[in-house]
Amino acid sequence: MRPVDHEAESCYSCGYSDFQASSTYGSNRVMLNRVTDAAACLRKHDRDELAAVLDGLELRFPQMLFCAYLGNLPSHLSLSELGFWLLNHGQVRGAEYARPNENAILLVMDMTTKQIGISLGYFAEVLISDEDAYKALVAARPNLINEEYGEALQTIFLKLAKVLKRNGRKLRKHVSGKQKSKKVEPPKNILDLPPHLIPGISSRTETETKRTA
Amino acid sequence: MRHLRPLLLCLAIPGFALSASVEMPEWAEPTESERFALGGGLFPVGLLPNQPDGEEEDDATVAEASNSENDSTVPQPNPTRFYGPVLDTEEGATEAAGEDAAGSQEVAKTDEADVVEEEILEEEVVAYEPLPPIEGELEDLYFAYKPVDYLIDPQRLLTEQKSNDIKRFLEFHSDESNFHIYVMVVGETQTIPEDVNLNALHKEWFSDQPTVMMLYYREQPERTEFVFSEKVRSALPTSVFERIGQYCLREGAATDDAPDQVEKMAIELSIQLYWLTRLADAEGSEAKEKVASSELHEMPASEDAPELLREYVPGIFVEDSGQWVPFVVTVLLVLAGICLFGFFGWLALWWRSREKVPGKPLIFPNFDVVPRLGGEYSGGSFVGMSFDISDHTSH
Repeated sequence: MRPVDHEAESCYSCGYSDFQASSTYGSNRVMLNRVTDAAACLRKHDRDELAAVLDGLELRFPQMLFCAYLGNLPSHLSLSELGFWLLNHGQVRGAEYARPNENAILLVMDMTTKQIGISLGYFAEVLISDEDAYKALVAARPNLINEEYGEALQTIFLKLAKVLKRNGRKLRKHVSGKQKSKKVEPPKNILDLPPHLIPGISSRTETETKRTA
Repeated sequence: MRHLRPLLLCLAIPGFALSASVEMPEWAEPTESERFALGGGLFPVGLLPNQPDGEEEDDATVAEASNSENDSTVPQPNPTRFYGPVLDTEEGATEAAGEDAAGSQEVAKTDEADVVEEEILEEEVVAYEPLPPIEGELEDLYFAYKPVDYLIDPQRLLTEQKSNDIKRFLEFHSDESNFHIYVMVVGETQTIPEDVNLNALHKEWFSDQPTVMMLYYREQPERTEFVFSEKVRSALPTSVFERIGQYCLREGAATDDAPDQVEKMAIELSIQLYWLTRLADAEGSEAKEKVASSELHEMPASEDAPELLREYVPGIFVEDSGQWVPFVVTVLLVLAGICLFGFFGWLALWWRSREKVPGKPLIFPNFDVVPRLGGEYSGGSFVGMSFDISDHTSH
């Protein structure tokens, strides 16, 4: 689903875009819980433990939004399309302004086709690479096969949190070193991102000064 | 008359009742009854209130005690007073007289059980049978041939168990040291025959081997004789041998039991022989003077010190390396233990928190991201996986 050109308005191969998704699934906003269990596959014990884990993660990463959607999807709705549409049209309760959807890590799971996926917002996809996300999914595969969905979601979120922690330290080191040297350097690909995901890494202060100038 | 009968009957009944006596068992006379000491004779007479001899006096004593608590005639328990068995009645009475006159009178009244115990003790003290003089066959047993065992006791004057212990110790000593010890035990009333020359026997049996023969008289350690070879005697000053004898006698005098005396003296002799060997190895006149003047125990122990001595009397060895080495080793061991404990603690904490993400809040720097596919918040970044067992495909 990843487009070839990061500035493309639609996929060059299939022509998919937010406009097409909106026309298919609706252009309205939907309200989501932090863990939306539409498939009713989580027990109360699992929900409580998962909520505790998410609370800890939100404390550790105040900018990030961790959410999950579990449902029985119709055959014509793919998991990637659902993730794309939910991130652009969904609104998680309690995270309206502090945690925008571009910082979201959305875990979507289809109980019908037994598939699970991770949809990332613009901000989160810079911090989490595809390889790290796939490793997190693989780590939870035993739990998923054993139908231990609560444990599986916990494992995935905790693995992603470790990736965030590692990459966040790298970025902070880079930013603090740049502030100490006070030299304007071209942005480096600190996290070994794909070419279309290399943004201009800058602190908020620098961005604001540029805008004011 | 009719009216008098009931009246007489009423008067007679109380009269009979008053004149009747209760039938009591016949008690044996105090002189005929078997006398025994309360407490088995462990406590002196008068200390226990119900002892037969002091019964009358005790009653009086208790009465007096009830009248006056501060009466000096009442035997009060005294922490400095000895309440154990009194072996010598006269001595006990004399000692008690110095402390307390009333107590001395009571202690002087020793009952028969005490007397019997004393007689038994005296019999035990002089239980040895008279020993025959060392002559004839007995003399041959002692002096005819070179001894095979290190303990020569053909009359079996020592107990069997102690003899075995001493033999084993002497064998161990001989294994560890080149200076062998032979212990010869004779009775206290026996004497060495005049025709026996111990020095000549020593030379005949052991020639110039470093060997010492200890002639021990039962329960008389002060009469113990040590026979060294002439070579050893000529190599060291006489004071050294005198000191060895004194040390051994001091050890032997520490106990009254003959087997214990032999054992202690043998151990001390073994220790002294070790130092003697070291002194004999010292070369030069200065070393000899130092040997003659210094105490044996002040010399540092060497690495070749007999391990048996280390086991028996570890306190005699003065380590040359100083006292700080074990301290440093102990400190290092303690530190290593603490580090190990901390490491395992950290390991346990890490294991428990390996699936958690502790720490302070982590703030990421901001990025300038260009939207794509018309998405306001997401550009469709997605990673998927199938967990259906029949389908292993993943996206």
